[in-house]
Amino acid sequence: MNYNKINIKEGINLHIIPTNKFKTNLLSIFITTPLSRQTVTKNALIPTILRRGSNNLKTQEEISKYLEEMYGASFDCGIEKIGDNHVIKFYLETINDTYLPDNETILKASIETLIDIVFNPKIENEKFDKIYLDTEKENLRQIIEGKIDNKAVYSLNRCIEEMYKNKPYGLYKFGYAEDLEAIDEEKLYNTYKTLISESKIDIFISGKVEIKQVEDIIKQNNQIRKLDDRKPQYISSGQRPESKENINEVTESMQITQGKLVLGLEVQTKDLEEKYVALVYNAILGGGASSKLFQNVREKASLAYTAGSNYIKQKDNIFIRCGIEIKNYQKALQIIKQQLQDIQKGEFSEEELENAKTTIISTIKFIPDEQDTEITYYFGQELANTKISFEEYIDKINSITKEQIVKLAQDVAINTIYFLKD
Amino acid sequence: MQEIQNQKVKEKIYKQKLENGLNVIIIPKKDISKKYIIWGTNFGSIDNEFIPTGEKVATKIPDGVAHFLEHKLFEQKNGTNSLDILSALGVDANAYTTNDHTAYLFEATDNFYEALDELMNYVQNPYFTDENVEKEKGIIAQEINMYDDDPNWQVYMNVLKLMYKDNPINIDIAGTVESINSINKEILYKAYNTFYNLSNMTLVACGDFEQDKLLEEIKKRITKNDEKQEIKRIYKQEQEQVVSQEKILKMEVNNPLYIIGFKDKPINSKEKVKKYIAVQIILYMLLGKSSETYKKLYEQGNIMSQPDLDYEFSNQYAHVLIIGQAKEPKEVVNELKNTIQKYQQNGLEQQHFNRIKKKIYGDYIMQYNDVGTIARMFLADSFKEINSFEYLEQYDEVTLEYTNQILKDTFNLRQMVVSIVKGK
Repeated sequence: MNYNKINIKEGINLHIIPTNKFKTNLLSIFITTPLSRQTVTKNALIPTILRRGSNNLKTQEEISKYLEEMYGASFDCGIEKIGDNHVIKFYLETINDTYLPDNETILKASIETLIDIVFNPKIENEKFDKIYLDTEKENLRQIIEGKIDNKAVYSLNRCIEEMYKNKPYGLYKFGYAEDLEAIDEEKLYNTYKTLISESKIDIFISGKVEIKQVEDIIKQNNQIRKLDDRKPQYISSGQRPESKENINEVTESMQITQGKLVLGLEVQTKDLEEKYVALVYNAILGGGASSKLFQNVREKASLAYTAGSNYIKQKDNIFIRCGIEIKNYQKALQIIKQQLQDIQKGEFSEEELENAKTTIISTIKFIPDEQDTEITYYFGQELANTKISFEEYIDKINSITKEQIVKLAQDVAINTIYFLKD
Repeated sequence: MQEIQNQKVKEKIYKQKLENGLNVIIIPKKDISKKYIIWGTNFGSIDNEFIPTGEKVATKIPDGVAHFLEHKLFEQKNGTNSLDILSALGVDANAYTTNDHTAYLFEATDNFYEALDELMNYVQNPYFTDENVEKEKGIIAQEINMYDDDPNWQVYMNVLKLMYKDNPINIDIAGTVESINSINKEILYKAYNTFYNLSNMTLVACGDFEQDKLLEEIKKRITKNDEKQEIKRIYKQEQEQVVSQEKILKMEVNNPLYIIGFKDKPINSKEKVKKYIAVQIILYMLLGKSSETYKKLYEQGNIMSQPDLDYEFSNQYAHVLIIGQAKEPKEVVNELKNTIQKYQQNGLEQQHFNRIKKKIYGDYIMQYNDVGTIARMFLADSFKEINSFEYLEQYDEVTLEYTNQILKDTFNLRQMVVSIVKGK
């Protein structure tokens, strides 16, 4: 395993993945903090204001010009929900020095640029730039109000929201439009200062790099040196959804042609071992072309083009998603419920079990061939406080038995059924 | 096999045209455990009128046949479905249809040759029955419905309809629910027999391969015995001018989407790669993140990210596309028009040009990170008679002077159209 974790300060870690597979170096900085209704909108604004300008590169235009000169280095940032954590992400992808035309080197400059954007923002009188903030508040409002635009994503979000009412995981990762008015350049800067001084910070670098060289660049960086030790709060699993006597059925109407059906399932696992069982269970249910959902909802009944499911490890939930003709709602629901019962009764073949395992194992084997996927994998391990190599991961999946799946299936329960129709 | 190297990206490819007409390209990638293979035929949604093999008269097929065929090819005579078999082997299999080609692919870490057996078997052995063709109509209808609700797809189809009157690129790749209803097994066989001729096909593999060994393994698995033939395709002459300049569609969306298109003349010459690079440089100079227009529109709060900038072309069509979201798409159009006129009058600025050219260089190198991206790129380019390395080779040839000329020719405001999707 070619992965090195170096502690920089308490709560701040550098993760280096040296690899020769790529033409690029991928740098990322993740800031992790617990999700809460009070901070969700402010946190969502942080990356948008930081990308507007740093103390050295004061405008977006300057940043862009600088990156273009660096052979089109590409900067990206975003916000994500991982379990009950809110994670602010920053990425910079550059061409590795080996592939630059004139023996140039941009590694150091690229690392410093990303650090500069995140930790050295453009500040005046202990405030962010008001003009920048006003634009970004308006942009965020558009993103929040635009959540209906992608119907598939919207339906999934709505199902999660229904399942986790008044709980952190039910929050929309971009926050809420009604919060925006009260946020000003001073308050947001205070939020930023708290984030930077108290949150968990992880810096990842993947590419053709020397560990020592990268470590030195980071440790000697002024912005990094200014950061203090911290005892960061972050959450490995978090709160479960409200358990209900009856299934919560939610229907919503919009002017659309295709209905979107999402089922939120609860899975009970007591340890890491059982999460592997859940992963295989999900693959049998809706993991790919040979899964029960794909075969029965799509291939046999011709009800859908998309039919599948996902297991969210941090929350122990499975989300089933299908796009169906609106009049086929009951029919589709009945077939889906039948699949859940079949697994409970052990009605799946040895072949289906093997197929499910092979599907998962090939995804694991693909991980080191994709730079961002590999970073995401190690970051997931970091948040879960586990350290499992790809080999161990594969062994675990291989060891899962039919009995374990059937046992787990007994406690899989539908919590919420969400249907978007016309 | 013929070896072609590229010093800039430090990669090489091997290619050979087999006696049976099949074109094979192998791109060895050491250190990568993922292996990717893709088999494509030069048959896409625009090939809807042709003289079928063994016949003398041209025939017109319903919209959506190429895509329908792609769905049905997985079905086997023994009742199995190749997608299931490939999935059981632990390989990630898929297929897709574009305007000008259809492709079948998988990526694997293990069981590569077992999967190759399956891929090469199902592509060479179609099995269509009245029953299995009927069954697929429900699935494809749901796929079409999904796109009907997708504002991104609607705004894209509309921009094509604004530009093209007779070229079938203005038709949805999947067809319509009505048109697919008239598809039957006879039509599918007719299209298959005409276009899935080995001399109309290209196979590309990228991964840790020894090229000669892989070539032998491919040859072993060829069972088709096609007579080489020239396919007679019929394309209507497309008018030079656009159909209409603007279309606004109302859908259930919050943020308006727009695509600005410039209809260009199809390019058949050797110049197409060079022209593509120049068009890309111009697009980033006009609306890239460091451009004045982008800055102005961003600061006005009209746009919040850089639009996607693209130049799509084949032997039958060519157009520029600027794809984005804006509060006031028409403001974007006005700003863009002004900038184009200004640059056409004053010429592009040298320093800005050099900087964007550097950026484009990085973009091309980044294409070579993933075996799938590499293989798909070489396949798609091969149907345009381009070797993908040419982009890096011709890069140095693109001068400011040349780019200024392309700016005048291609960014002709009379050839500009605007498609908008906005809320009700």
